[in-house]
Amino acid sequence: MLASAVLLLFLAVLSLYMGVYVFEKYSVAEVLKGLVTNDSTLSESDRFVMMDLRLPRISMAILIGSALAVSGTCLQGMFKNPLATPDLIGITSGASLFAALAIVLGASIRPYIPEVFHFSLLSFMAFLGALFTMVTVYRISTSNGKTNVIIMLLSGVAITALGFAVTGFLIYISKEEQLRDLTFWNLGSLGGATWTKNAILTVIVVVSYAFLINKGKALNAMMLGERDAQHLGIPVERIKKQIVLFTALMVGTSVAFAGTIGFVGLIVPYILRLIFKSNYHIILPMSAILGSVLLLAADTVSRTIAAPSEVPIGILTAFMGAPIFIAILVKNRKSMQ
Amino acid sequence: MLEAYKISYSQRKFAILQNIDVSVGYGELLVIVGPNGAGKSTLLSMLANEMGKNEEPIFFKKKTFEDWDEKELPHHKAKFSQSNSQDIPLSVKDVVMMGRYPYFNASPHKADHDAVAKAMQETDVTTLAARDYNTLSGGEKQRVHLARVLAQLDNDVAHKLVFLDEPLNNLDVLHQHRILHTIKNFTGRGNTAVMVLHDLNLAAQFADRVLLMKKGRIVSHDVPDKVFTKEIISGVYNFPCTICPNPVNKNPLIIFGT
Repeated sequence: MLASAVLLLFLAVLSLYMGVYVFEKYSVAEVLKGLVTNDSTLSESDRFVMMDLRLPRISMAILIGSALAVSGTCLQGMFKNPLATPDLIGITSGASLFAALAIVLGASIRPYIPEVFHFSLLSFMAFLGALFTMVTVYRISTSNGKTNVIIMLLSGVAITALGFAVTGFLIYISKEEQLRDLTFWNLGSLGGATWTKNAILTVIVVVSYAFLINKGKALNAMMLGERDAQHLGIPVERIKKQIVLFTALMVGTSVAFAGTIGFVGLIVPYILRLIFKSNYHIILPMSAILGSVLLLAADTVSRTIAAPSEVPIGILTAFMGAPIFIAILVKNRKSMQ
Repeated sequence: MLEAYKISYSQRKFAILQNIDVSVGYGELLVIVGPNGAGKSTLLSMLANEMGKNEEPIFFKKKTFEDWDEKELPHHKAKFSQSNSQDIPLSVKDVVMMGRYPYFNASPHKADHDAVAKAMQETDVTTLAARDYNTLSGGEKQRVHLARVLAQLDNDVAHKLVFLDEPLNNLDVLHQHRILHTIKNFTGRGNTAVMVLHDLNLAAQFADRVLLMKKGRIVSHDVPDKVFTKEIISGVYNFPCTICPNPVNKNPLIIFGT
């Protein structure tokens, strides 16, 4: 736990040093110091790169990585399956579908509302999309507390297909500026990070974690079956509702701010399971930190590997996630039938 | 201890249980027996408050389950279920420790580790503690869950209640008797156990009272000597039998097919 927190801190500092822009006369540490002491010799561009580009972007990677990993872990506990992640069961698609609708249909009212509410409209729509898909997938795939994994994954495929169709149609009818927004959604990027978005994300992550992060014992007990968990005093129905609501909130907001960054919720719990088995009591809080580590590392690589251009971060996470997806399938192929 | 009246349950208009009255006293071991489809497990589920509300309230220690504090109740009653989950990717000790979840918040205390160690001793799974639960045999898994239930009720509460749905399935003779002695010991200290069993001779040997069911109704609810008679048993099971006193312990001995 401590080791991964130190690793995250180290990565965050390292990430500050990485980038196309070279600070004019100072090192990163001196620029930071200059910002704190309000040094007047600090050049305007140094200040801008640090305060408006790198720092907000790093903060956003930490917040979104953590939120996605925790959402994945919670969903896996609720569905009792390591493949239940926001992207594979269609929640991300549902959120981006609604976000795309908000972009295209909201265009007419957008100029008349202040910036803060732009985010709110988009986030709120993405949250609704996530919530709606999650409830639908859960209703379709689960009966009497038992999830049919195949149905769960196929509902994800169906919703993703619907998402593609609608987004494709919207791209076809949309104007040029909207078009840029829409493609951004499909690839995923942390390039749009601002302090306003980070503030909203922080509030959502803090509130959600207050409810979710201590549910490790409950998720463990739910592996026994829901009735047996109830005999241990676990309020199963209430916990499932909390998981649905707060993961929808976190996934929805992440999608609204950074588009569809896939596989984080699959990779992180998978690695943790290799070390700690499925003990949610340990892997749930750990995934909050390891998620940040993963996404921050991926984002740093994405903006340095092919500098000065940027590799979309979704490509990197997919490179890591897809093999793990296959590995889980191979491992579970007997129990899936 | 536990009082329930007019328990009825039906699924798709098919009545599984019809107007069953049960009451169990302190220190009593009640064994529910009956042929397949008699509704034994359903009755146990209803009594354990798993199926939602019955029309008539069920009283546990003079209070309905709704009136109990949901944090307090797991210290007073536990249930061992028949359909245990097959896939729990955890170590055996972690599974048994779940029985202590009602007692700690962040991490287990010494009392919790002690209770787990003691329960694992009782069901003879101590040597499996570090094993992966998923690699165990059916009988071993069964014993792990029994240990979990025992660990859950290891506390200072005076009168506790345990429900056991066919706890002896898959167990060898040694472990069958060991578990039954553990349960007998538990009820000997003023606690109560309600158990579904298939083996009539074990029921005759260990039960304080027997509840014999057929097709969702009670046929007989009495001490073993009164329930296990040739007429009642051969009638209910629709199979000829002879009943004689067990030469060792004088309990009724049921021999089928004669």
